[in-house]
Amino acid sequence: MKEIHHRVKSVGEVGVWLTAMGLAVGLLMVVSLLALVVWNGAAVFWPRAVAQIELKPGASGLGEARTLAGVVAKTRLRADRARHRPGDEHREWHLFVGNKDVYGFGFKYVDLADAERVSFPADLMMLERTEYGDAIGFPLTLSSAAGESISFAADPERFRQKLQALVREGTVRRLRIRRLERGEIGAVNERMRKVQERRKALDGGRVPPAEVEGRRAALDREQERLQKEYRALAERAADERREQPPWQVAYRLATGQERVLGVGQVIHFHFPNRMSAAERAAHFVRRAWQFVSTEPREANTEGGIFPAIFGTFVMTLLMSVAVMPFGVLAAIYLREYARQGLFVRMVRISVNNLAGVPSIVFGVFGLGFFVYFLGGSLDRMFYSLSLPTPTFGTGGILWASLTLALMTVPVVIVAAEEALAAVPRGMREGSLALGASKWQTIYRVVLPGSSTGILTGLILAMARGAGEVAPLMLVGVVKLAPSLPIDGLFPYLHLDRKFMHLGFHIYDLGFQSPDSDAAQPMVFATTFFLIALVVALNLGAIVIRERLRRKYAAAAF
Amino acid sequence: MSPDRSTDARSVSAPPQRPVARSTLLIDRAMHHLIKVGGVGIIAAIFAIFVFIFLQVLPLFQGARVTLLRMVAAPPGNYVALGADEWMAKPFLLAADGTFTFLALDETGVVEIRRPALPDDPVITAVRYRALAGVAPIGTADGRFSVVTVKYEARLTSAGRAVEVALEPGPLTPIGPAGAPVRTIDYADAGAEKLAAALVEVDGRIEVHAVRMTQKRSLTGAGRTVVEGGADLTPHIQGRPVEARVNGRADSVLVRTEEGEVFYLHRIGGEFALRQRFRPLADDPVDVLVGLDFLLGDESVVCTGSGGRQEVYSLFGRGQEGIRQFSRTKTFPSLPAGDYAFSPSLRNKAFLVAGPGRASLRYGTSERVRWEEPLPFVTRLARLGSKYDHFLLFDAEARLHVYGLRDPHPEAGWRAFFGRVWYEGSARPKFEWQSTGSTDEFEPKLSMVPLIVGTLKGTFYALVFAVPLALLAAMYTAQFAHPRYRKFIKPVMEIMASLPSVILGFLAALWLAPLLETRVPSLLGAAALVLAAAAGMGALWEALPGRLRGIARPGHEFLLFIPVLLLAGQAGWSLGPALEQWLFVTRHPVTGEAVADFRLWWPQATGAAFEQRNSLVVGFMMGFAVIPIIFTIAEDAFSNVPPAFRSASLALGASRWQTAMRVVLPTASAGVFSAVMIGLGRAVGETMIVLMATGNTPIMDFNIFSGMRTLSANIAVELPEAPLHSTLYRSLFLGALLLFLMTFFVNTLAELLRHHLREKFKAV
Repeated sequence: MKEIHHRVKSVGEVGVWLTAMGLAVGLLMVVSLLALVVWNGAAVFWPRAVAQIELKPGASGLGEARTLAGVVAKTRLRADRARHRPGDEHREWHLFVGNKDVYGFGFKYVDLADAERVSFPADLMMLERTEYGDAIGFPLTLSSAAGESISFAADPERFRQKLQALVREGTVRRLRIRRLERGEIGAVNERMRKVQERRKALDGGRVPPAEVEGRRAALDREQERLQKEYRALAERAADERREQPPWQVAYRLATGQERVLGVGQVIHFHFPNRMSAAERAAHFVRRAWQFVSTEPREANTEGGIFPAIFGTFVMTLLMSVAVMPFGVLAAIYLREYARQGLFVRMVRISVNNLAGVPSIVFGVFGLGFFVYFLGGSLDRMFYSLSLPTPTFGTGGILWASLTLALMTVPVVIVAAEEALAAVPRGMREGSLALGASKWQTIYRVVLPGSSTGILTGLILAMARGAGEVAPLMLVGVVKLAPSLPIDGLFPYLHLDRKFMHLGFHIYDLGFQSPDSDAAQPMVFATTFFLIALVVALNLGAIVIRERLRRKYAAAAF
Repeated sequence: MSPDRSTDARSVSAPPQRPVARSTLLIDRAMHHLIKVGGVGIIAAIFAIFVFIFLQVLPLFQGARVTLLRMVAAPPGNYVALGADEWMAKPFLLAADGTFTFLALDETGVVEIRRPALPDDPVITAVRYRALAGVAPIGTADGRFSVVTVKYEARLTSAGRAVEVALEPGPLTPIGPAGAPVRTIDYADAGAEKLAAALVEVDGRIEVHAVRMTQKRSLTGAGRTVVEGGADLTPHIQGRPVEARVNGRADSVLVRTEEGEVFYLHRIGGEFALRQRFRPLADDPVDVLVGLDFLLGDESVVCTGSGGRQEVYSLFGRGQEGIRQFSRTKTFPSLPAGDYAFSPSLRNKAFLVAGPGRASLRYGTSERVRWEEPLPFVTRLARLGSKYDHFLLFDAEARLHVYGLRDPHPEAGWRAFFGRVWYEGSARPKFEWQSTGSTDEFEPKLSMVPLIVGTLKGTFYALVFAVPLALLAAMYTAQFAHPRYRKFIKPVMEIMASLPSVILGFLAALWLAPLLETRVPSLLGAAALVLAAAAGMGALWEALPGRLRGIARPGHEFLLFIPVLLLAGQAGWSLGPALEQWLFVTRHPVTGEAVADFRLWWPQATGAAFEQRNSLVVGFMMGFAVIPIIFTIAEDAFSNVPPAFRSASLALGASRWQTAMRVVLPTASAGVFSAVMIGLGRAVGETMIVLMATGNTPIMDFNIFSGMRTLSANIAVELPEAPLHSTLYRSLFLGALLLFLMTFFVNTLAELLRHHLREKFKAV
């Protein structure tokens, strides 16, 4: 009897295992994708050893030199398959050789078969510079204009300490210059623009002709004064620049060339081959922090992504401000006020479906309606002075947020409706029975009861908004925004400004960068941060939902 | 009700009624209205998106609007050509004797009669006006020709725009035998090369002659024009020539004969050769060719018959050498018989024909009549304004009718978007998308079909990969997995759904595509081994005695399978090169030696291209976007099947697989279908993955190793550059509308099915 039971039960085990395979593949896909991004993203900041490769005679190196130094970015099969012979070494290194100012490129492919000897000299130094990316070389001397000189060979420790101190000094000075240029000079520029606009308004004919001359003279005086102020500030900035420490660091590349670099251009230096694990970790943290807190340099291939993070943040926030009240209002109407019938059912289905309408369609609408129609009208009405330069008639953070709000409002409506429906009927009836009005019931009982559910919907909408790129490309995102959407100049929040966005940054770096090799690590790092942001938001929503489920499971009456 | 209970109730005193505060009532009423208005407003606003996009698209399908602006009387004369400036301020009539009559269209109504100032004022016997170049070649009775430039200049004055005109005649150049009168003349200036062609009367016979001129151009400016010499084209022609036309590149002459034949002479250097001789409208012997006119770009000629038939002949390469010859590409509806004046547009491929009591505005590319109306007069001459916003008709009673024309999107229409169109230079009608070109004469190719096909192709490959995987996973999670695992499987899948598509696109393009480019055999190997491993494990489990089977309790199989999967995948992946050596050996196209390279093997084996960014990559990455959606909905559908069904089936002795296949799946089939539909909706609209991971070439094939361009990617690529309210702009809105309709339709279908399913099982 038992035998038969077993045989019958086991029919179709192949199918069961196939379905198990489906699940296993699906889970593995997610996990490995996340692992890929995390690994590659984190690897960008981890200081890796710099290899010195001596090439066999006859192999192609960098010009005459047969020794090169660099970080092995990846190892891959040689692209040219025709040269493959079985048993041959047919892999090649993708080597980051740095020193773009000398070589003209930052990366080079080297055949593994061409390498004679690979070593990791402890003295190799990596210099992060304000221009041309990293330099890799052996330090020689540190010399000042006054004739002072510290040789690395004679006293490495003193060399290191002096350079450290000089770099720190330079960093402080750069910050000061930046504050001067961005803050004060920016403010003067803005005032000058205003004056220009007022001058233009004088020609518009709205001012009585008798007053025109007087006003123009006043504006000219103002202009004069501002220009003087501007010149003084520019002078100060130039002075600061000149005062960069008059020290220079000399180093020798693995390929033999000797270079001299002003210490003012060094952002950071380290000796990757002699770092301890703790030092590496510290370096990792420092680089990661720098990445999220500084602005991009060198066509976005160096520096950080702070403006992109900030832009994403402000846009998502504005979007939430727009989407929350409207979504909840529509949900309250649908659930509490509308007469439930065929019509409302149709509306509900349609709203649900709108969540599935491609995001690019919302982008198209945003461009046509918000930017060209609304923005164009606003410009004609209030900003006609600066036309034909559009103010709101071009993509900007306001239009981008509203477009995304429109895109995510169905998500919020659906979530809020579900949350409202989950509030037990007994609670509503209890409130009404105690004499509360309908609105009081909704406001005091139903909304608090469903707030976590609504919050979940909002978080999901934020996650979707933060990760969306396609519609933003049409309504105001740019690869490099000169200024942030929020700053210290009146009116502080600049709704008409274009902005940077993490998702678009990835697209732009990956596909429109002039130096795609140099950009790739940056893309991975940016991807890492975007994924972290989106996954965190989603996990938050999931956790809240689980809590909610438990709460209602206990409180059902 | 018993009496003692009622006394009980009476003994409890009713609570004193208190009036409700007025403010509470007011607020309640206000909120009631606010929410109603707000709610309806928001929902209406969302649907207004559709209406807005629709309104943007609508003008594409409207015909031309024509309004009569004014009518001006002209002095009578034997006028043969009509010209105008771009502002329609001072049109002119050119008489056969070479006098220009300028009519000011402002309130002054001044009429100016002028003759070009030629040395010793020769008798003019032939004139013509080429509107695009703004020149009027004229031929004289003593066998010479000159090119008169009609130079309009506008000055802005306080009273408005003042248009001045000057006639600048060029030198008189002999053409044909000395002293023979010129009967018709045509001339084209292509910069360095210039060509004039004339019919010349020699002893009562008509001969065809051409004169070639050259002009050196350098950085310092244009040099002197040099007459390179004349050529007698008469030997090439059979029949009685009535007209000779020169094309804009100054390298061809078309000669029309009285018999209705066209001789196409092509010039290389100074030598002319007959390239083609053809008879348009040949299928009707009565209807003889009477009009032969170039369309903008001079790649097509409009042939008009005496009976009113109209056909377009275009140049395209034929045969092995690809010699470009004229062939019929389009046929327009016939006009009533009569003499018709013809005027091509200088902006696009439109042309105006007007004759006895009828005028018609037609569009060459789309083969459509934009506007056609009967008119109460007989038109002698016609001219389409150079901005395509006006046209002039000059009638037999010497009246000039000025019409306003509003036709912003002449190249659009159902046919242009959804039909095959025979574009200039192509050998057959096709579906094509190419919105911008390098020259002004370019025909925008706006077919939505390649984009729709591309969209479907991307969707298809995404679904081929995603649907089986998602449904298998959903089935396992709902039916076989231990319930405890569902708590973490679903969030993991939700995270997968939330991955921003720009990340997937970036990984697809910069990580997966280069990886897969060289490792297609490895992928095949891994896929095959993984499938085999699953089947093998299943078979093993069936065969194993019950005691051993206990290692993996039911519901934990997928955990046990993960290491197997990793092993099998890794093994298959590293088997790839061997597989390639074994199966995909082909000859290297350059060196000729045998190479094992799938990238070379695929085009040689199938004839289709192999690109790095292809549908395989897109399908795989789009899977990440689609799998979680299908999974979630299908899993819900499977879980919602009433447990009683399952229990009954199992109790009757069916195995869990049999239960799943024969009971659960059929019951949940509507839900599964709706899951696939919603996945499809997502794949159709996906933008970033496709934008980044394909080459974005609008091609029409289903080759898995080539790319595509989808509707959504097309919008992302072209909309930022499209000028506001241009045809391209509206066409992209049309693309968006199609996307909207496609996804909305699919989603609604899915949603209705899901509702149906939910209602069905409510009772059980």
